[in-house]
Amino acid sequence: MRGYLWFVGKRLLQLLAVIFCGISATFIVTHLSPIDPVEQVLGRLSGRSNLPPAAIEATRQALTEMYGTNEPILQQYINFWLRLVRGDLGPSLLAFPTPAMELVWRAMPWTLGLLVTSTLFTFIIGNLMGALAGYNPNNRFFKAFGIFSMSIQPIPYYIVAFILLIVFAYFIPIFPASGGFAMDVRPGLTWPFISSVLQHAVLPGVSLVLVGFGGWFLGMRALVSNVVTEDYVTYAELAGVDKKTIVGGYVIRNATLPQLTALAMALGGVFSGTVITEQVFNYPGIGTLLIDAVNWGDYSLVLAVSTVSITAVAAAIFIVDLLYPLLDPRVRAE
Amino acid sequence: MAAGNGLAMAQDAGTAPDLAQFPRNETLIIHNPEGVIRNPAWFNNWVIGSGAGLSNGLHNLTTDTFWFIDPNAGIEGASENAIYNSLADDLWQYNEDFTEMTVKLKQGIYWSDGNEFTADDVVFTVEKHKATPGLAQNGAYNAQVETVEAVDPYTVRFTLKGPNSRFHTLFAIRWGGAWIMSKAHFENVEDILAFNNDPPVSLGPYTLHSFDPNGTWYIWQRREDWQRTALGMIGEPKPKFIIYRNNISPDARLIEMRNGNLDMVHDLSPEATFSVLQQDPQVTGWFPGFPYAHPDPTLVMAIFNLKKPLFEDKRVRWALALMLDARAMSMASYRGAATLSAISVPPTGTHPRDYHAPLQEFLTNYEIDTGSRTIKPYDPDVGIQIADMVRGQFPDAPTDETDIRNAFGYGWWKQDIQAAEELLTSAGFTKNGNQWMMPDGQPFRFSVMVPTDGVVNRLGSIIAQLWSQNGIGAELEAASDTWDRQRVGNYDVNISWAVESWGGHPDLSFFLDSYHSEYIRPLGESQPDRNWMRWEDPRLDEIIEKVRASDFNDPVGIEYGHEFVKLHLEEMPNIPIMSYNVFSVQSNRYWTGWPSINNPYANPVTNWSNGRFIFTQITPVES
Repeated sequence: MRGYLWFVGKRLLQLLAVIFCGISATFIVTHLSPIDPVEQVLGRLSGRSNLPPAAIEATRQALTEMYGTNEPILQQYINFWLRLVRGDLGPSLLAFPTPAMELVWRAMPWTLGLLVTSTLFTFIIGNLMGALAGYNPNNRFFKAFGIFSMSIQPIPYYIVAFILLIVFAYFIPIFPASGGFAMDVRPGLTWPFISSVLQHAVLPGVSLVLVGFGGWFLGMRALVSNVVTEDYVTYAELAGVDKKTIVGGYVIRNATLPQLTALAMALGGVFSGTVITEQVFNYPGIGTLLIDAVNWGDYSLVLAVSTVSITAVAAAIFIVDLLYPLLDPRVRAE
Repeated sequence: MAAGNGLAMAQDAGTAPDLAQFPRNETLIIHNPEGVIRNPAWFNNWVIGSGAGLSNGLHNLTTDTFWFIDPNAGIEGASENAIYNSLADDLWQYNEDFTEMTVKLKQGIYWSDGNEFTADDVVFTVEKHKATPGLAQNGAYNAQVETVEAVDPYTVRFTLKGPNSRFHTLFAIRWGGAWIMSKAHFENVEDILAFNNDPPVSLGPYTLHSFDPNGTWYIWQRREDWQRTALGMIGEPKPKFIIYRNNISPDARLIEMRNGNLDMVHDLSPEATFSVLQQDPQVTGWFPGFPYAHPDPTLVMAIFNLKKPLFEDKRVRWALALMLDARAMSMASYRGAATLSAISVPPTGTHPRDYHAPLQEFLTNYEIDTGSRTIKPYDPDVGIQIADMVRGQFPDAPTDETDIRNAFGYGWWKQDIQAAEELLTSAGFTKNGNQWMMPDGQPFRFSVMVPTDGVVNRLGSIIAQLWSQNGIGAELEAASDTWDRQRVGNYDVNISWAVESWGGHPDLSFFLDSYHSEYIRPLGESQPDRNWMRWEDPRLDEIIEKVRASDFNDPVGIEYGHEFVKLHLEEMPNIPIMSYNVFSVQSNRYWTGWPSINNPYANPVTNWSNGRFIFTQITPVES
């Protein structure tokens, strides 16, 4: 037990170090960006009305002071960490003075709802089918499924998404072309809203599942193909152990371990959103928010999204690290 | 303020709309090109950079100011020389030396909360802005206004900090500008920069009905008392409801228009426009046939960085212009749907009448000394050639010469490689194989900065290619930060637009005033808008000063404009190429009466606040 606690403590320090380094790196990269948020705002302002140069200069000075971009970068970095430890990432510069985290939390549920569901769905379908295909390599159905997976795997995601959009929103218009929910429903825990959200999530969800399950399938099939040749599986078969037990208890369980690490990283990664999906289906998620933030030079918002994402990925890996000794006796022994 | 917890409604009251209550013969649905509106519950459009929607109906339907200047002709009978008196009862009145401006206001205009609009609102707006850094016109008012006073409830007098014959243009809306605030609504707001103004008090004929808390649609409802607004005094806005939808990808725009869920699309790619117009007879563009697009009052150019020795010799600049092929640029950028301009005035609105047509003879006879001979570089028929080129694929391209000139421009320079080489040689350049060398023996190399995508990117690609083919070391550089870089002069050649004009009015001060040498900044410092090339010339200053000393509506302004055009041709500080054409389309499925080249009463591009006048002219298609 003491050994496990030592292990947990070490991993916890690693987690904090990863988060600190990741966020600091993001801070440096965003502040090295040539895009100046003040100039972005000025560009939109002056392009729309007839402002004399003196007016533009006065506005530039006012914005620079409001955004704090006139301070030395080291001072900005220190201020950033002082705010962050209080849970404050400052105001968004593209939606000034709204707090950056408010924008993140507004977009996050959409991203999590779509991506967590589709990631889990692809993980389960892909791994289950992959495991069965690996254990039954000569089964015609699984062979055909394997060919289908390998065929769809190389197709660029946006092509799949676009085909789905054209077919099911235009030629056979049974799903909405864009958005997160219909205009005539009010957000809340009501069936009209939930059903509208589900209806709007079908096309983006299916597109993600279609291109996503192949990777899990092929990976799992390869893992199972190796596991079934292991001595303990042969021994179990010779001992007359029930086939379901062999597949479920021995083969899939052992082959799934590396897949769990990948799942944890994939689930951590959902916090970054999926830009192409959101662009094609105009889905209100975190991906387009991040793109907007980068294009505007909105350091605060980029850092807010990145902080959530870095923390989520690091935390996911940390949790897997903690679980591994409990799942794998070989690791536990180490 | 919108709650920040996920799906919480941004609206604190009201219910989501039942779409059945929006019959299509009463409801107009418009595409707003803004992406996801990040601050959907924010309607305080006086705060800079708030992330609020602007062309989501807010500045189209609820705002107002003294005058509008239309980029096209304006509604006949309601506007004069494209100028509308909106909140003002008449045009601006300056004193003799342009240090005072008096404005008479219309009577009988009311805010949507029932308060009357008066001079007090104007005074409050100006003074509040002057006192509050972070408000949109804070810099403009502080730089120009000494005092503002309400002479009486319907008369405002501005005392200016110096002579300024163009001060009124701050209140003359071309796209957006200085909107008036409601004193009653804002005067007790403690922190105006943190005030979201939800719901907005409207000075226009519509009020907010509902909106998407995720920032992708807004619904506006016509006021019962729409007659008590400036737009209502021009005509009845026909749609009872107007829905603005944003964050719609180009593919979805096509699908939504074909499915009857959009009446006006802000823009499409040229190819998508050709496709939808050929497939759907109910969809229409600005021109009845090819090139369909609306030419904006902007001018895309190859902008030289004149502070770099590379381009200090005008013979070099002219040589680079003569290496370009107008037909290739038109085809590469807009698939032939470009409206070309050889002069530094957009070929749009009423400018062809005031500038392009009158200057044709001058241009046709314009001569350049290449150092070896004298040539006449202008080709008045290049538009006709392009029309002939595209007619095979687009039989509806115009055949009438006037129509062709309106659609494709009045002409451009002939590609004349020999003349270009003579000019370079006379400037001391030499050729080493297929590489031009500068007088100091170094290769003539530079980068051509373009945005990362779109028609301007395509245009820059072909320009760089044409120069490269002719021995110039031109390297294309796609950059995501072109705006920032052009301001500080961090580029060699920049493909962008440096000219914007009123469109419907001949005055060129909208862009020309900022060309004055008093505004030139050294490389590395932010150059005020539009003179990105940092062109400096005492003759130019002289023209600008004459414009400043003349009245906005004085016809002499056109003469000064011609002087500017001729000086620009002599110096070629940048190469004007084409207007920025916007492929806006409208559907006649539910509404009809859209503006077009044959009835150019307004700009159909949906994010211009001037588009409000369209709502008084369209009518529902009765089923």
